Amino acid sequence: MTATDNVTRVPANVDRAAANARMREVLARFMPPFVLLVGVIVVWEAVSRIFKVPEFVLPAPSTIVAVLIAHQRDLGYAAFVTAREVLWGFVLSGIIGAAVALVIARFATFGRALYPLVVLFQNVPKVALAPLFILWFGFDLAPKVVLIVVIAFFPVAINMLVGLQTVDSNLVALMRSVGASRNVILWRIQIPNSLPYLMAGLKVAVTLAVIGAIVGEFAGAQAGLGYMIQFASTQMQTALVFAALVEVSVLGMLFYYAIEWIERRYIDWMPHTA
Amino acid sequence: MTSTIAPVPHAPAHILARNVCVDFTVAGRVTRVLNDVSLSVPKGGFVSLIGPSGCGKSTLLKVLAGLLAPTSGDVSVAGVTPVEAVRQRRIGIVFQEATLLPWKNALDNVAMLMQVAHASRSGDEIRQRAADMLRLVGLERAAQKRPAQLSGGMRQRVSMARALALDPEVLMMDEPFGALDAITREEMSDFLLEIWERTKKTIVLVTHSIDEAAFLSGEVHVMAANPGRILEAMPIGLPYPRNEESYAAPEFARATSRLRRLLKEGHRQVRAA
Repeated sequence: MTATDNVTRVPANVDRAAANARMREVLARFMPPFVLLVGVIVVWEAVSRIFKVPEFVLPAPSTIVAVLIAHQRDLGYAAFVTAREVLWGFVLSGIIGAAVALVIARFATFGRALYPLVVLFQNVPKVALAPLFILWFGFDLAPKVVLIVVIAFFPVAINMLVGLQTVDSNLVALMRSVGASRNVILWRIQIPNSLPYLMAGLKVAVTLAVIGAIVGEFAGAQAGLGYMIQFASTQMQTALVFAALVEVSVLGMLFYYAIEWIERRYIDWMPHTA
Repeated sequence: MTSTIAPVPHAPAHILARNVCVDFTVAGRVTRVLNDVSLSVPKGGFVSLIGPSGCGKSTLLKVLAGLLAPTSGDVSVAGVTPVEAVRQRRIGIVFQEATLLPWKNALDNVAMLMQVAHASRSGDEIRQRAADMLRLVGLERAAQKRPAQLSGGMRQRVSMARALALDPEVLMMDEPFGALDAITREEMSDFLLEIWERTKKTIVLVTHSIDEAAFLSGEVHVMAANPGRILEAMPIGLPYPRNEESYAAPEFARATSRLRRLLKEGHRQVRAA
């Protein structure tokens, strides 16, 4: 902007106007949720002060912030442990989900055999498997990662499969007409076509991954935000529970927006919904 | 299907269909979609198939283009079966939708089929040819644009450039301008005539527009539904090159009114049946 300032006045004005318009757009997008959030916090704070709600039932936001600051080292470490579980679990869910979708799409017969089994498995309440994974894989990272994968690979697989299968049949006919093999069609048309669907699946998966990590830690852990929530609640340290919940939410949002950023950056041919 | 058909001596047909029938089986019921259709298109000819929805005009085009095998009857394109003609890259196809890859720009979309068909050619060679084709359809300045940034007419021209890039002898077009607005449609008609006169391709066009059929074609095959069949092969006695003024010519008026009458007749027959 400063570079154009010394050329002529008009472009500078135009530039400034454009910058202002962009600023207004950003404000219009972020203001409403921000205002709502602040409003909820203010009401919450007021209610807990006016009615003198006991801290072990519902701590005031100011108390939670104080705990967040006082326990920042413990919370930070717990968040690191949980984030590591989420990251590993999520990445493996993505890889395994995409692989399942590719196998089903590419090898029709095997796909017909595999698909109902995948759906059947989806209907097993996987949270119930958590104690089993603790039994098999110990108390550390592994059982949480396995639990996340069994919970989160399904939306990835199902979304990507839809993307692989909803290709224009005329386009496929054209490709066949010039002698394209199934692999060429998969590689040049089906896979690129599936990427926006894959991203939608990954967004669902990352949310499930956070849930999986917390549940996994509930079932048995020595560290992490889920472990901390459980530990603090048995000690009636409700403010600490809330502080951990805040960190879980922030963690989940960071992962979610990281994926959204990748989507906007690299898959820019699909119109984005806000 | 037999692989070759003896050519008729006096009229060397580029595309020949004889007694073609197509049955579709839906939920165990057999429906005759095309009944005993025969037609011939001379080399370098421009022929339209026109008819109401459900008359099988698109099905007939698919049969001619080798995308669908007829239940019975013989089809030959350039002396071989359509499937063989497709394999020899003698047939280019343009659909109603441009069917472009949304993640590739216009140039790469034009290059797409060549990259598969001419895998041995270098990338530069293919890009050069794609750029030439874009110039042919007047889109050299839109080479870097994605389909979403192009208008419907421009997308359809990219689709035509993609078909022409393989230098087919025959261009099969299935309602290529059906999704466009009236003004763009007429522009595309002019443009298609220009391309045809310049490249000397044999063109088969499916359309439901009487004006479009009469303005573009040397011969119009009027079809009727239930079962899909050709009512009449009607030559359009309007000399080429055609332009704006052709729409005002008496031959044009005669052709369109006769086409209209034939289409109505076919429609009445269906309703009576």
